[in-house]
This record gives sequence, C-alpha cells and structure tokens, in this order.
Amino acid sequence: MRISTGMMFDNGTTGILNNQATLFKLQNQLSTGRRVLTPSDDPVASAQALVTTQSQSVNKQYMENQGNAKAQLGLVEGNLDSLTLLLQDVRERSVQLGNATLTDKERAFIADELKSRFEELVGLGNAQNGAGQFLFSGFQGATKPFAVNPNAVPPFVAGANAAVDYFGDQGERLLQVEASRQMGVTASGLDVFMRIRNGNGEFAVSTLSNNVLVPAGQTNAGTALADQGTVLDLAKWSASPVQPQDFQIQFRVDSTVFPPVTYYNLVDTASGNSMFTNAAPTAGPPFVGDWKVFTPGQAIPFDGLAAAFGTDLGAQVLVTGSPADGDRFAVQSSDNQSIFDTFQNLVTIAAQGVPVSPGGNTEFMNDLGGQITALDRALENVLRVRATVGSRLAELDALEAAGSDRDLQYSTRVSNLQDLDYAAAISDLSRRQMQLEAAQASFVRITGLSLFSQI
Amino acid sequence: MSMLAIGVTGLNAAQLGLITTEHNVANANTEGYNRQRTTQAANTPMTTGSGFLGQGVNVQTVQRFYNGFVAGQVATSATRTSELETYLDQVTLIDNMLADPSAGLSPALQDFFRGVQQVAADPASLPARQAMVSATESLVARFQSIEQRLAEQYDSVNEQLTSHVDLVNSLATQIAEMNQRIVVSQAGTGQPANDLLDQRDNLIAQLNDEIRVTTVPQTDGTLNVFIGNGQQMVIGVQANRLAALPSLNDPERFAISIVGGPTPQELPESVLQGGALGGLLRFRAESLDAAANSLGRIASSMALTFNAQHALGQDLLGNISGDPAFAGNFFQLSAPKVVTSLLNTGAPDITAAFIEPPPLRFNNGDFSVTFSAAGYEVVSQKYGIAAGTIVQPTLELALQAADALPGVPAIDPASGSFFTNLTTSDYRVQFDATGANFTVTRLSDQAVMGAGTVGGPALLFDGLSLAVPTTAAGPNDTFTLQPNRETARNLQLNTAIAADPRLIAAAGPVRAETAAVNTGSGKIEVVAVAPGYVAPPTGAPLQISFSSTPVPNQLTINGSVSANITITSGTTTVAATAGVAFTYGPDAIITVDGLSFRISGAPKQGDSFTVQRNTNGVSDSRNALALGQLQTQETMAGGKTSFQGGYAQLVSEVGNKTREIQVTGEAQKSLLDQAIAAREAQSGVNLDEEAANLIRYQQAYQAAARVIDVGSRLFDVILTMGR
Repeated sequence: MRISTGMMFDNGTTGILNNQATLFKLQNQLSTGRRVLTPSDDPVASAQALVTTQSQSVNKQYMENQGNAKAQLGLVEGNLDSLTLLLQDVRERSVQLGNATLTDKERAFIADELKSRFEELVGLGNAQNGAGQFLFSGFQGATKPFAVNPNAVPPFVAGANAAVDYFGDQGERLLQVEASRQMGVTASGLDVFMRIRNGNGEFAVSTLSNNVLVPAGQTNAGTALADQGTVLDLAKWSASPVQPQDFQIQFRVDSTVFPPVTYYNLVDTASGNSMFTNAAPTAGPPFVGDWKVFTPGQAIPFDGLAAAFGTDLGAQVLVTGSPADGDRFAVQSSDNQSIFDTFQNLVTIAAQGVPVSPGGNTEFMNDLGGQITALDRALENVLRVRATVGSRLAELDALEAAGSDRDLQYSTRVSNLQDLDYAAAISDLSRRQMQLEAAQASFVRITGLSLFSQI
Repeated sequence: MSMLAIGVTGLNAAQLGLITTEHNVANANTEGYNRQRTTQAANTPMTTGSGFLGQGVNVQTVQRFYNGFVAGQVATSATRTSELETYLDQVTLIDNMLADPSAGLSPALQDFFRGVQQVAADPASLPARQAMVSATESLVARFQSIEQRLAEQYDSVNEQLTSHVDLVNSLATQIAEMNQRIVVSQAGTGQPANDLLDQRDNLIAQLNDEIRVTTVPQTDGTLNVFIGNGQQMVIGVQANRLAALPSLNDPERFAISIVGGPTPQELPESVLQGGALGGLLRFRAESLDAAANSLGRIASSMALTFNAQHALGQDLLGNISGDPAFAGNFFQLSAPKVVTSLLNTGAPDITAAFIEPPPLRFNNGDFSVTFSAAGYEVVSQKYGIAAGTIVQPTLELALQAADALPGVPAIDPASGSFFTNLTTSDYRVQFDATGANFTVTRLSDQAVMGAGTVGGPALLFDGLSLAVPTTAAGPNDTFTLQPNRETARNLQLNTAIAADPRLIAAAGPVRAETAAVNTGSGKIEVVAVAPGYVAPPTGAPLQISFSSTPVPNQLTINGSVSANITITSGTTTVAATAGVAFTYGPDAIITVDGLSFRISGAPKQGDSFTVQRNTNGVSDSRNALALGQLQTQETMAGGKTSFQGGYAQLVSEVGNKTREIQVTGEAQKSLLDQAIAAREAQSGVNLDEEAANLIRYQQAYQAAARVIDVGSRLFDVILTMGR
C-alpha cells in the first residue's frame, strides 16, 4: 500500500492522542476512585446507583426516625416507670390504711400524704418532652392534658364527677420507622390514666350507698365483705340481654329459726324483681323459692336466672363474713375510673376514717377494698401500656439492626456499581503508559526517515 | 528533426516533471491537495526509408490523482462524523451536568423529603418547618438551575445554527465563484484546472462537514450542489442562501429556511441530515427536548401529587381545606405551555391544564389498570363488569367509564395515594379547515389522542385536559402543547408557605375519638381523607353511637352531614342516612363526606365515638407522613415509577444516548479514517516518492542536456571536417 507522508504524521499523532486520552481518563478514575465518571460511562449502573442511593438515603432517614422514636418512647417509658412506682407506693399506703390498729388521726396523716401523691400524679400526667410538648395529650401537644375538676364530688368516677378532666385527644403521634411501618411514639393520656375499668373489668361490686364516700347513705350493718367478683365465662356475661348490668345481692336473715339462717337473692335494680323468678321477691319469712341459703365464704353464682336476665351470666361474687338482715351489695357493669379518681377516692376514704356506726368497719373495708382493686387495675393498665411501649422498643432494636445491615448492603451495591477496581486500573495504567511510550518513540523514528536527508 | 530538437523536448519534459514534483513537495501539507503528475508521450515519429524515427517527447497534460468514488466515500463518512461529533459535543454537556452526584437533582430531592420527615417527626417545631421550607427552596432552585442549563443549550443551539448557516452561505458562494473560475480556466485551455478543482472539492468537503450535500457535475465543468432531499444550494455559478429563522410552529427555536423566493421556505428538520447542522438539529429533537421534558415531568408530577396530598391536611394554625387562610397548594406550578404557530390566523381560547392526580388504586384496589396495544384496560376483579374489561384510549376515559358502570361505587379517591400520567412528549393541536374541530396528536409516536370541538367537552389524555370553550380557530391553525417544557423553570414554593412555615399542612384535618365513658373495647380510626372532603364544623363533631339491643351492631351517625353516608364492607357498599340507624359489620369502612373511618373491636351498648375537627392538633403529623411516603411511591408515568426513578430514567437516557453517540461516532471515525487512508494512498503526497522523482527528472534533465551537448559536439565535428 502506498503511504502518503501526511498520513504518516496524522496516524502517529492520532495514536499518541488516543493513548493520552485513555491515560487521562484512567488518571481521572484513579484520582476520584470512581469507575463511572459520567452517566455515559455506564448508563445502567448510573441509573441503578441513583435509585440505590435514594434507597440508602431513605433507609438512613428511617434509621434516624428510629432513633427519634426510641428517644420519645424512652421518655414515655420513663414516665410510665415513675407512674408504676407511684402506684405501688400508694397501694402500700392504702393497704396500711386498712390496718385496724391505726387511729383516724394516723389515717389523716396518710390522707395528707396521698394528697401530695395526687399532685405528683397530675404532674406525671402533664409531663412534657424536651421541646415542651405534652407527652400524654395526643395530637394536641401544646394543650395541657389534665386539669383538676373543682366541681367533682365523691365518689369520683368518669363523667361529671371525674376528679381530673382530660383535655387531650386519642391521637397517636406517628413516625415512619420503616417503609411500611408507622410507629406510634406516644401513649394517649386517656388510655394510660383515664379509661380504666373499675371492679373486675366487667362489673364492680360495691356497698350500694356507702357511708364513707356518701355519708348519708344506708350502711350494711353486718360483717360481710364482698370481693370484686369473677367472670367465669365472658361469652355468657356478654350475651346477657340486659346491658348494662345493674342488680343487687340482697341478704335476709331468718331469725325465726335457730340458729338463724341467712338467705340471698339477686334483685334487678330497675324493676325490683328477683332475677331468679322475674317477679317481686318473696316477702318472708319464710324465705322460699327465689331466696337461696347463704353460707359465709360462699361464692354467689349468677346462675339459674329467669330467661329475661339471661339464665346464666357466667360470673360469681365471693362474700365472706356474716351479712346482717337487709344488707346488700350492688353489682354494676364496670365504669371507667381514672387513676386520679381512685387516688381522690382513697384520699376521701383516708380523710373520713372509719365511720362510727354498726358495721362501720366493714363498710370502710369494703370501700377500701374496692379502691385497692381499682389501684390494681390501674397498675395492670399501666403495665399493659408499658408492655406495648416495650415491645415497640424491642421492635426498634430489631429494625435498627436490619437498617444498618441494609445500609451496608446499599453501600456495597453503590460501590460495586460505580467504584473503581484499583488493581485493574493501575495495571491498565502501566499498560497504557508503555503503549504511549512506544507510540512516541516509533513516531520519532519513522518520521525521521526521509530520502531528502540522503540527497 | 535534429538531435538538438529531440534533446530540447526531453529537457522540456524533464523540466515540467521537475516543476510538478516541486509543486507536489510544496503542497505536501495543503488541505485537499491531490498529487499531480505529468503525462508524457512520445512525439509522432518521422517516417523514413529506414523506418520510423523517434521525434522526442511531449507532456500531454498535468494529471491529478483523484478518484471520485473514494472521494465520495470520504464525503459520506465525513458528514456523518461531523454530525456525530457535534451531537456528542452537545450531549456531553448534559451528561457532565448529570454526572456530578452532588449537583444533580437526586441530593436535593433527598434533602427535600428529609425535610418532610423532620416535620413529620416534630410537626409542632417551627425550626423543623423552616428547615423543610429551606429544603424546598433549594430543591426548587436545583430544578431551576438544571433547567437553566438546558435553556442555555437551547439558546446555544440557536446561536450555533446561525453561525453554521453563515458558514454554509459563505462556502456556497465560494463554490459558485469557483465554478465560474473553473469554467473560464478550462474553456481557455481545454486542460483540467487541477488546483482549482482541488480547491472546489475542498470547499465542498467543508460544506459537507456542515450539512450533507449531493453534487451533480455538469458538462461545462461546473458542479451543482444540493442539500436535504434536493434543495438547490449551488446551481452553476448561482448560490442560494440558507437562514436560521424562528420556526413557524415554535418561534422560540430556530429552524433552517432556504432563501430563494419572496418568503423564506422552512425546511423540515427531518430532511436536514448530516454535518454539524444535522447534528445540532438531531441533538435538539432527540436529546435536549427529551431531557427538558423529563425534568419538567418530574417537577410537575411532584408538584401535582404533593399538592393533592398537602390539600388534605391541616396547618399549624388549624386551617383546613376551605378555610380562606389555608394554603392547599404547596408548590405553584405553571400551566401547560401552548405555543402558537406563526401561520395561525385565529386566536382560539385554548385552555390546557394538568388533571388533578387520580388515586393510585381505585376502590381499594378492586380495579387494576394495564396498558396494552388496545389502550388502557380497566379490569375489575370484583364488580362483575360484563366483559370484565373496559378499554379506552386514555387512562382518564377508562376511569370515567369504570366510574359510570352500574353497580360499581364511584371511584373512591380515598383508596390510595396519587399519581400522574404525564408523558415526556409534546402534542400537536391541529384544527380543521372550519377552525371548529381539532385533533390532538402525541408527537413522540404520532398517536391520535382524540378529537374535540370548540365549545365541546374537554379532551382528557395523558394527565392533561384541553378545551376550547368559545372562540373558534382560523382554518387549519396549529398549536403545539408542551406540557412539561417549562414546569421545572416555573416551579415555586407557595409564597404564603415560604413566608409562614406554619402553613405547611402536616396534620390530618379530623380526628376520631372514643368517648371517655365507653365501656366496650371499640376503637375508631380515620382511614382516609379524600379530596373534596367536608369536615364537620368546629365544635359540632359527628356523633356515632352504637347500640346492640334490640338489634345488634347498629350505628347511628348524627351531626352535620352534607351528603349521604356510605358503608363499604368487603365488596358491597350501601348507603345510609344521618340520624337513622344502620347495621355495620366488622371492618366496614364508613365514609361521610369524603372522610372514611373504621370502628374495630367490640363496642358496647351506649358507646359512642366522635369524628371532629383536629382543633389544636399541633403534634399530629399524619399528613406529613403521607407526604413523606410520596418519595418512594410510584407516583409518575401512570403509577409506574417514583420521582427518583423518573430522574434515574432521565440520567440513564442521556447516558445511553451519549454512549450510543460516542460508540457510533468512534465507528464512524474509523470508517472515515479508512476512507481517508484509501484516498491518501492514491492522492496523498509521499515526500520520499517525490524525492525519487526529483532525482529521476533531474537525471532525465541531465541526460537530455547531455544529448544536446552530444548533438552540439557532432555538429562541431562536421564543422571541423572542412578545416
């Protein structure tokens, strides 16, 4: 082939320039550590790297949110811990109240202590986070959730006579802790403090108009103490045609016989009828038909009732001690009684002391027992909320571990997509360097050959 | 003929040979020069009795080594190489712009959603809200700066078209002049005007680098030059002119017109191929438009979906949709751009708008939408639609059709997040001869989107609506619809929100609550808030009371209800009326005026629930969370990709295009190199060869001189004989 002189020069310079361009790019890659310098170097990898980078950034954001959630839940958990301790202290004091050796003066001291404990409780309910947001006010972070109701009168219970009113809501503040998981990082004050069912959760047993909380009421004269009852079969209890339940366990003592025999009856409050017969209770003595013989320490089953009352309510109440003639206990579907209500009821009971009346001590013990059960239920409720907080914290730990794992994977992926293989690049560099040197040397040699220099 | 005379012919021929060789040596580096040779021939011999006696030599012509076929190959490759190089120069600018990981859209987008998440984490915090505003402003600025770079490239293309056209005109004039000189030169001598031909060929090669030309040689030695598909550039000694003028259909972009008659005639871009001009036009049509539209589509999709979700929230001041102080739109978005053709005679009131984003799923996922060759197919899994499938040319029409089916509840916008259906294409709106009817064509694939009439219903297609309410157009008026071309430039954060970050609607507009005295375990939650919802008035919550006797599972809703109540349980939806008890099953979704909520658990007789305005709900971040989720949801391209996915697509498209052009360019360059090598092999000057020729002609010259010398000596012999 015939070669023109121009071509010899052109080809030589093109070869040198090409090698230089390659070296320049290699040098660029080596200095940045990136294989993909512009999208055109590897369009697919560039696009994937973008998507992966976003996934990584979103994952980082979730991890940040997890840390945030942890801090907030930790705050809630800390408050609930204080609340638990408070409730345990108050329970101890309350049990102490029942000690028969205490004088009313000593009870008054306990009442004073309980009053200050009540203030502490309100303080816990109105706890704030670092940013000044109330923890237990739901969505209304700037609204103080709990305020004492000055118009409430004993007994304190949900409704008009609530010791403390709730001004927050039930909103749960959420954080996005995972792509498909929004985690609540607060507990509603209503849930923690307010909506606690009294009694055993389904019904509460009380002396009807007790003379401790309602001094003017009728008192039980006997020594009978009722527990807060037990629901044996929730389905039966719930299936009752009467909702809500409101009836009485009434006792009569037949003194015409010796020894006297104690009878009990279940009487519907609304109609005044015996629930066994759905007719007015038999006037006695003799107490027959709807009246059942009562033995102290016996569980009174809500069974064998007339169809209108649901035959079997699947529940019972244990009554110990000896009731006097005409004594009675009320069984009512549970109401909500806040921790504040319970505290205030205890304060009232402690302040009133043991009434001076026949059966006053029994009355006191029945009331105190009811409130201690309420405390237990409050404690149970707080522990339930703490359990959900705890399980969320545990979930956060798991999420965090998964998150940092994913972060590493994303980093590896992005690195694989666009980072440089140094070993390959450096060996490439020396190869190209050699090539360039060869091109330069050969160019000088070849272009130095000219016939003109010979003539 | 004497010996002397023969010697002289040899001397002359050698001299011409030497001159030509020197000419070659001198022009060894001249662009477009083809090496030349003298063509020698023996003179006609003299007839004698002894036979034919040679009469010496003559130089017939000076010939240039020129192969038309090889030259054609070089021209074809060169024009293509020039086109690809120009294209590559331009597209590399976009490629480099997108290459910087810290300067692209991606980090700004991530920072923006990070700001949203920060508000979601602490919605009552003004610093968090301010941070979100700042992140939004920098996102908007990033959109604008990327768009600005693209807009500069549009301007740059216009300028380059102008300067290249100037060069084309100058070259065409020179070629015409060269034609003239060649005709004159060759007519005088009958010999080829080699150097003039070389110069003309070189001019044509230069013109070819600007735009692909075809040449047709004429018998008089002139060369006619055509561009495109036969547009005359040079005819004989006459040159036409090109001009870069604002395009008739889109005055903002320059098009190439040929200036011949009274009005310049605009050449369609498709006929102008090859060369720098072809490269610029192709770059603009293929890559620049696509990049600008892709970027704009991300901006408009984000603004539309974000606004749709933002409007469903409540700001820190407690304002919700409908309150005068409520800032529903987080972003301010410009309307789709309608470009009027300069040829139009009418001025119809075309109104184009983005359609409010439809929800991602329909009726809780009971419909799925697929796109097939037939169009958009809405397939119902649950409602027993006759054929099971509705096919319509556009998604919007398909949804309308599905909505209108008997037995199917109206498409429930509360059932999912939002998405847009925008494409990266532009559209042509073409009116007919009456000016009263028009058709819309998508330019990317020439698909007809539909036909409309002036005063008729709005045409819905690809996430856009277009209507001409009253004023008819002129006959055959044309408009170009560029929905996304300038949205990135015009995107703004709502100025009210920028001035007062408290207006960010981070909270949900309503909250649902269980009454404090409830004894059952029933819980109520707000499931969704749909666009156009009506919240209960402040202080007058919706009261939902539960009763189980005598009829179980009865709910009664009291309060201000403006429309009917629907209860959706599984696949069935029934209506209810305020104040009248209705039966509800577990997991039923109750929808009142666009507010959907669900009661779970086991409420008890007398329990009640309320749904009310989220007054003082400063710590609520439900809407901010929904906004944050838009980051990863498939909110674009008909629910097929996310914002980041859309951006990745843009990066990959530009990257692929750049790579394609690079690779094709390299292949083309090697073709060109081969063609040039072939040409150089024939026509290039080799100095060694010329050196050899120099010696050869020198020796020939010396020999001829010696012949004359010998002749002279012989003559001397004869002269001395007589002495």
